[in-house]
Amino acid sequence: MEIILPQLGLFFWTTVLFLIFFVLLRRYAWKPILSALNKREEDIANSLAEAKKARDEMAKLKADNEALLRQAQEERKKILIEAEEMGKQIVSKAKTDAAEAASKEMEKARQQIEAEKRSALAEIKQTAASLAIEVAEKVLRKKLEDKNEQEALAQKLIGELSQN
Amino acid sequence: MSIQKTLILSLLCLIGTAFAQTNHTNSETPSEQKEEFNPSETIVHHILDTHDWHLTDIPGKDENGNRIYHPVALHLPWFFYDQGFHFASGTEALLEKGYVPYHDHLYKLKPGVSTEEIHIAHGQVEHFDPETMADSDAHVIDLSVTKASLQMMIVGLLLLWVFISIAKAYQKRDGQAPKGIQSLFEPIILFVRDDIAKEYLGEKADKYTPYLLSLFFFIWFSNMFGLLPINSNIMGNISVTGALAVLSFILVQANGSKDYWRHIIAMPGVPVAIVPLMTIIEIISLFVKPFALAIRLFANISAGHFMILSLVSLIFIMGKNGESVGGALGIMPITVLFTLAIFSLEMIVAIIQAYIFTLLTAVFIGMARETHDDHH
Repeated sequence: MEIILPQLGLFFWTTVLFLIFFVLLRRYAWKPILSALNKREEDIANSLAEAKKARDEMAKLKADNEALLRQAQEERKKILIEAEEMGKQIVSKAKTDAAEAASKEMEKARQQIEAEKRSALAEIKQTAASLAIEVAEKVLRKKLEDKNEQEALAQKLIGELSQN
Repeated sequence: MSIQKTLILSLLCLIGTAFAQTNHTNSETPSEQKEEFNPSETIVHHILDTHDWHLTDIPGKDENGNRIYHPVALHLPWFFYDQGFHFASGTEALLEKGYVPYHDHLYKLKPGVSTEEIHIAHGQVEHFDPETMADSDAHVIDLSVTKASLQMMIVGLLLLWVFISIAKAYQKRDGQAPKGIQSLFEPIILFVRDDIAKEYLGEKADKYTPYLLSLFFFIWFSNMFGLLPINSNIMGNISVTGALAVLSFILVQANGSKDYWRHIIAMPGVPVAIVPLMTIIEIISLFVKPFALAIRLFANISAGHFMILSLVSLIFIMGKNGESVGGALGIMPITVLFTLAIFSLEMIVAIIQAYIFTLLTAVFIGMARETHDDHH
């Protein structure tokens, strides 16, 4: 049948026309279209990558902030605890210091009292001795002529007294 | 495409075909008996490429008052080779040179046969017997720009116009979303690039994408044009699909890797005794591939036209060539309905066949480029 017989003319013109249109289309249509499509795809890919990077950075920043906040909170807690402890320490130290000072004062007072007592006793002894001497003198003057002998005797007696 | 448009196109197709039919049946001289309607001859005539681009028929009356149709056709000039290139504007000019165009074939008139014996009607030679009146020794090679070639030029120019304007839109709307015709074709361009070129050619796809895009859109647009009335069904010509297949074949062989040729000449890893057999098979398959490409596209597209024209012919068969109006009217709704269905199918086939041709070209190039590390 004629329909399946190739015609050389049509074959020739198809080849020529298709090649001409292919060359023209490639030069003026496909190259600009494909390069524009590639460029746009690259742009989109870049934009997406940038957006992802920005998002990651944002997340990182947020995480950093949170970490910082947590750290600050922890620090605050630590400081508070430390302050509390320090307060306690100060109070207890003050208490002990006060007690110590009080006991020292007390000791000092006791020593003073003791010293006062001692000096008072010595004075009393002195006074008592001089009174006794006076009394004895008065007594002895009347009794004794030799005053010196009597004094020595009296002294000896006082010494005996004080030893008791 | 909307249903309305499809409907209108189908009706136009029907009307166009119907006019052409009446031309053939009614333009005979009234003295002759009306010739029997021959559907297969009419259909083949409509599918074949021609030198006369039949546009329409104008109804009129002949000198005896009979109704006839005057065909309005574009008579394409003849360009042919016969011991030198010749050019002739029409039938008369051809006859003067001693050549006779008959049924779209060019014959050299046998010496001694007078041009007076050849009857011309509407610029067409009627009643010419190639057996007795043509010079059988002459080898006339017809290289005329026929209806299909002219149609291809129109398709090509449309392709250029559409895609250059799209390319300009890309430059003008740089970095912006596509708009209008640009967004209509962008997914298809991307489909060809990503699902045909990159899928089967991988890294080197960019080199072949322009060819594959041209091939795809050329076939698709041609097929769509072929569905319109008046226009030629370009891809329903084996010469057209054959030319495209030959171009694909050349492209495939030009990109054959060393491994590809080694597999064809001597298949490695095969027992020595079988190697010659394998070589024969490989060489056959080398030529079967483009042959199948050409046949597939041609057969699919012409089959659709056969179906539509057969359905339209039903009207003339049932109408007994104008004698039974009732019969013609009876079959008309069925014809219209079926033609619509086939027409819709053909619009899908138009793009599917373009896809298959392009895909297989890409697959064959990919196979030829392949380098094997592992052997069978």
